[in-house]
Amino acid sequence: MFLKQDDKSGLRIIIVGCGKVGNTITEQLCKEGHDITIIDKNASTVQAISNLYDIMGIVGNGASYSVQDDAGIHNADLLIAVTGSDELNLLCCTIAKQVSGCATIARVRTPDYSKEVNYLREKLGLAMIINPEMEAAKEAARILYMPNALEVNAFAHGQAEMIKFKIPEGNMLVGKMLHNIARTTGHDFLICAIERDKEVFIPSGGFRLEAGDIVSFVAPRAEGRRFFKEIGIPSNQVRNCMIIGGGKAAYYLAARLIRAGIDVKIIENDKSHCEELSIMLPKAIIIHGDGTDADLLKEEGLESVEAFVPLTGIDEENIMLTLHARKVSKAKVITKINRINFTDAISSLDLGSVIYPRFITTEAIIAYVRARKASIGSNVETLYHMFDSKVEAIEFRVGSESEVTNIPLKDLPLHNHLLISFINRNGKIIIPGGLDCIMPGDTVMIVTTHSGFKDIRDILRTKRH
Amino acid sequence: MNNTMIRFILGQILRVEAALLLLPCVTSLIYREAQGQMYLFVAALCLVSGLLMTTRKPKNTVFYLKEGCVATALSWIFLSLFGCLPFVLTGEIPSFTDALFETVSGFTTTGTSILPDIEALSHTSLMWRSFTHWIGGMGVLVFLLAIVSLSGGSDMNLMRAESPGPSVEKLVPKIRSSAAILYGIYFAMTILEMILLACGGMPIFESIMLAFGTAGTGGFAIKNDSLASATAYQQWVITIFMILFGVNFNAYYLILFRKFKKAIRMEEVRYYLMIITVSILIVFLHIRNIYGSIGISLRHAAFQVASIITTTGFVTTDFDAWHENAKAVLLLLMFIGACAGSTGGGIKVSRIVLLFKSLFKELYNYIHPKNVRAIWFDKRPMEKSVVRSTLVYFMTFMLLFFVSVFAITFEGYDFMTSFSSVAATINNIGPGMSLAGPTENFAYFSVFSKYVFMFDMLVGRLELFPMLILLYPGTWKELFPKGRSNPR
Repeated sequence: MFLKQDDKSGLRIIIVGCGKVGNTITEQLCKEGHDITIIDKNASTVQAISNLYDIMGIVGNGASYSVQDDAGIHNADLLIAVTGSDELNLLCCTIAKQVSGCATIARVRTPDYSKEVNYLREKLGLAMIINPEMEAAKEAARILYMPNALEVNAFAHGQAEMIKFKIPEGNMLVGKMLHNIARTTGHDFLICAIERDKEVFIPSGGFRLEAGDIVSFVAPRAEGRRFFKEIGIPSNQVRNCMIIGGGKAAYYLAARLIRAGIDVKIIENDKSHCEELSIMLPKAIIIHGDGTDADLLKEEGLESVEAFVPLTGIDEENIMLTLHARKVSKAKVITKINRINFTDAISSLDLGSVIYPRFITTEAIIAYVRARKASIGSNVETLYHMFDSKVEAIEFRVGSESEVTNIPLKDLPLHNHLLISFINRNGKIIIPGGLDCIMPGDTVMIVTTHSGFKDIRDILRTKRH
Repeated sequence: MNNTMIRFILGQILRVEAALLLLPCVTSLIYREAQGQMYLFVAALCLVSGLLMTTRKPKNTVFYLKEGCVATALSWIFLSLFGCLPFVLTGEIPSFTDALFETVSGFTTTGTSILPDIEALSHTSLMWRSFTHWIGGMGVLVFLLAIVSLSGGSDMNLMRAESPGPSVEKLVPKIRSSAAILYGIYFAMTILEMILLACGGMPIFESIMLAFGTAGTGGFAIKNDSLASATAYQQWVITIFMILFGVNFNAYYLILFRKFKKAIRMEEVRYYLMIITVSILIVFLHIRNIYGSIGISLRHAAFQVASIITTTGFVTTDFDAWHENAKAVLLLLMFIGACAGSTGGGIKVSRIVLLFKSLFKELYNYIHPKNVRAIWFDKRPMEKSVVRSTLVYFMTFMLLFFVSVFAITFEGYDFMTSFSSVAATINNIGPGMSLAGPTENFAYFSVFSKYVFMFDMLVGRLELFPMLILLYPGTWKELFPKGRSNPR
């Protein structure tokens, strides 16, 4: 009876490596009720984490068979390797795959492998390869394409975007009710969530906007910019960008921006690293110097630059650089925060756009795990936590007929604080009205303050397990 | 200090106790005894106080080791205070001190009694008395954790405070499943023993009581002569089960999950079985001619050795009359105790093994002063902090032991009585030697001494530190911070 653990209790997951990403994943997956075993070489790290969360800790090398056996690899559903070394991660996954055939996820960050991700995944039989630096760069690039946004998240394979921005004083939206806005700006967008004074609302049509509200809306790709234009905030892609620090994220970001025709200047402290970068990114301007030196920044034209992205490895430096840049220039600034945990203090600093690579990674993994747990017929495609995890935006694939399909949305008994924000039907983004239906084969995005949805049917008030 | 969370845990414990008290109530229905009403009344009392304490669920459910220790120590004190009420109310043990002593002795699985005539008790009270052993053996907080999850990761701090052993490990990632597996094994083994005893012609009620007593390694029997009048078969069954319940439960877990190799390799269990074998042999050689037949002598030797090393405390014969050397072996076994992670008490075999290994390492250091060398246990290098805490544990244990012996000598009994009575309570065994010996009971000690014994029992069961933390002035400063006139 107690021998067989019931399937309801969650997946059995092994996490190798307890750095910042490992830690965040552990925290999130633990909250979702999975059975987690962590492996790390450092005994005191393992001790510290097992005191915080309800998990089992094992000290040892995660790529060794006997350690994996100790951790119960034979019964595991999933192994996630997030140690500091790409090669070790891949080795962990390969061994786990050979031993038990469980699903595996590896973190691979080095640019050397980044072009071969699909090949690696296929040949080594991995379920997923995650690259937090690349994801962070993608997110930063999306914001730089639309600098008035605070955050831009992609859904439906980039077909739709969720855009967050702050309503400035005196904007035409101030004082308007939501159902009146559509009349002036067209129908191709939907406001999903609004943050006001630290409180988050999933709004209905009668919601009145105010200056200083932070608004998230979805729109098909390229429609977002039109929306900004119509509400009187022209938002054109930046023309040039200054990046401080030449790490992996900087490389990924620079490569992307150059492809989009944006001029990139990278300031890096290490000479040999500069030389490597200059070979990898021939079109970028590589400056060898200390990026935290205010005079050097001035000399390189911080005042006139349109975008400024500090990507040093030290969070405190990034924050200081951001604050400095916001004082001396009008540039769009994006701050990357890797490690530090003081979200309250950071949000009160008014840094503008902030990117947390570890959260991006965690979200991708949780989306995968939830999809594993869901019944056949619907699947979590993507998941984003918005507004300090107060709101979840989830994209479901609707496989087959169920209680939610073919019924007009206005007749579905939906949960409170839940919004169906778009339906993707064969690549076409539909911003739904009350008469639209969910059809099999669609992907549907919902925004909600509830958490833990795994199945499209969870959106119904009646069907909750 | 997260006082609201401590209050919440205490409330939960009282609710659990209310549920546990229903078992004697059922017994009273079966045997048509009036005492059940009192038990029902106390159950209701526990339930109401428990509900009052748990009405508001604390917002901040995180707690740390200090809160875990305080909550554990207080839980056991609360359990005993409420658990002794039925004895007083039914008038079967009219003195409050005596009733509390009996209950603490039950929950801590000591098995020391102040009752001169056990057979005079009602079935209801006998059931409650033995049931406290069963609950106390595996631990009431572990039981609580098996039913509810209090606060995720922090729960480990409760389990750590209550479970015996130098380093507590989970069996599976989730603490709730771990606790449930432990109780599952415990329950199954208890039932098995019950059936085997009943098959040997023992009345059902008595088999249940003795199974509870063995499982918790407690030692409350329901006859005045303990087990002297039991048949040879019954004594052998109990001997084997006492030894089984003294084994680290991780071994059973490994066997359940078919990791036989690992189970066999457990160093602690090997030493444990080795110590038992050698002790039986020595004792047997001393008493081989006393009982007329070799078979009977061997049975008594095995039974007493198993009873003492697992800290159960059942008695088949007056071992106080044995050869001094045999008694010395038993006295040493009292301190060694059972395996860590079992239901037994004492210092624990693994700690003793670690102590010896540290000693040999020190000796080795005299020869090679600059050598670097770890202490190995279970084919793994022991962390220095575990070794250190084992040494501290031993020192603290000895300190408390001698302070207690000193306190008991005020009674003016012979040294063997004072020494062995403290050894029997702090190690949760039951009978000591001389005047505290197997044919005697603790009724004639003064009230002061009884409270010393109760403290020793609790300290011994909770592995010293939770109780000491509760008494440590620094804890009180945290519990009632200055500047708050009305501490909640």
